[in-house]
Amino acid sequence: MNKIGQAISEIQSLETLSKEDRWVNRLHPLSKLFLTVFYIAVTVSFPKYDLSGLLVMALYPAAVFLVSELSFKDALRRLRVVLPLVAAVGILNPFFDREVVLTIGSVQVWGGVLSMLTLMIKAVLTVLSGYLLIATTPIEKICYALRIIHIPKVFVVVVLLIYRYVTVLLQEARRITQAYALRAPGQKGVHYKVWGSLLGQMLLRSMDRANDLYDSMLLRGFDGEFHTGAKEKLKPSDFLWPVLWGAIIILLRLFPVAELLGGLFL
Amino acid sequence: MSHVHIDVENLSFSYESGTPVLREMNLHVSENESVGIIGANGAGKSTFLKLLVGLNLNFTGKVRIEEIPLEKKTLPKIREKIGYVFQDSDSQLFMTTVGEDVAFAPRNYGLPEEEVEKRVQEALEKVHIAHLRDKSIFKLSGGEKKLASLATILSMTPDMIFLDEPSVALDPRNRRNLIRVLNEFGHLKLIASHDLDFIWDTCSRVILISGGQLIADGTADEILRDQALLEENGLELPLSLTERK
Repeated sequence: MNKIGQAISEIQSLETLSKEDRWVNRLHPLSKLFLTVFYIAVTVSFPKYDLSGLLVMALYPAAVFLVSELSFKDALRRLRVVLPLVAAVGILNPFFDREVVLTIGSVQVWGGVLSMLTLMIKAVLTVLSGYLLIATTPIEKICYALRIIHIPKVFVVVVLLIYRYVTVLLQEARRITQAYALRAPGQKGVHYKVWGSLLGQMLLRSMDRANDLYDSMLLRGFDGEFHTGAKEKLKPSDFLWPVLWGAIIILLRLFPVAELLGGLFL
Repeated sequence: MSHVHIDVENLSFSYESGTPVLREMNLHVSENESVGIIGANGAGKSTFLKLLVGLNLNFTGKVRIEEIPLEKKTLPKIREKIGYVFQDSDSQLFMTTVGEDVAFAPRNYGLPEEEVEKRVQEALEKVHIAHLRDKSIFKLSGGEKKLASLATILSMTPDMIFLDEPSVALDPRNRRNLIRVLNEFGHLKLIASHDLDFIWDTCSRVILISGGQLIADGTADEILRDQALLEENGLELPLSLTERK
């Protein structure tokens, strides 16, 4: 399987994961969406030098990984393209902020190093929480939750269609690269001279196909509103889960839990 | 007297470049008729079907579907009556699983979830793919995709169905299955294809399009046995009507 095939397969396996019959998957999408947004908001609100406070925020993704039985290793593998990019955020901080803010033994730590690490961890935690939401909730249900909170339907449909379009684009890319490889045996990758025409072809074909898909939707009664059949009633657990975690997250944000725990052992 | 369901008068269509695709087409199709639209590649069959469902309204002439004139404001009403199966199933299926795709139309028409469930099951059973309900669209074979596409429109319980090259990518078994399903569908059918054997098996009436014009309109027996007419318009006798040497 080539890389494009692998990418399509990754999307499919993520969708399969999101449809599994697990406790976390069965939670109302709105409660998971709220909790994720709240977690992200709180995580990014940590001060730039508060590394120890931020580290304990890993508790939430760790707990979701445990209860959802999702593999952390798989998550890292799936996010291997994104994580280095998000980790690169703040990579220049050590060059601009050389004030010593911490001394560990004889090692002096610059503020820039600390803020870089904080930024990296913030990025990794927020991406992981987004991954956990997608891996436990089908995209249709996330969009349904967005509609409940009155996000305009144009925006929600665009999100859904972009998600679908990614697969269409990848499929077209796979067809084109396969056709190319069959007529260019022994060649590694695609020769730079044909990049332009190949990309153009891919764009035109995927636009054609996207247009046909849209026609197909119109012919089956699509009126701008995506009806996913995801209507679900809120159960007590749908309130309990976000309330419980909301309280824990607030505690982690307001109190220096890592320092308090450290004080117990020192 | 049978009720006219599709009424086409002087239908002409050209691309923006000015290239004419269809010229002065006239057609009247009654309820329960099964009409094959035949013609060589590029004759205008697919365009004709697409115009009838309003995918392009830049035509001249008149089209009425069940007495409703085809225009922008009547499109939702007309489309509710018609099930359209695309030539390329990849252009039709877009939800994650077969079941979700088949449920797409009934949900759009605001049916309660129990009714959606019932229609999905019935549609899948009709085309014998109930076992594929939870299968990912991307993992279907060509034949399964075609049957799934048909199920997606059967769940709409349409008054009429239009099919564009339905026999493409079907193995003999799936082909027979599709022929059986279509013959069981008692309502109006328009089937565009250059697979004349398929048309022979499914249609009682045939119209022949060539160069964007309606050349002949008659019973399947008259048109599909007329070797001179077919060859004159870039077609050949159906294999099943050809004497084996």
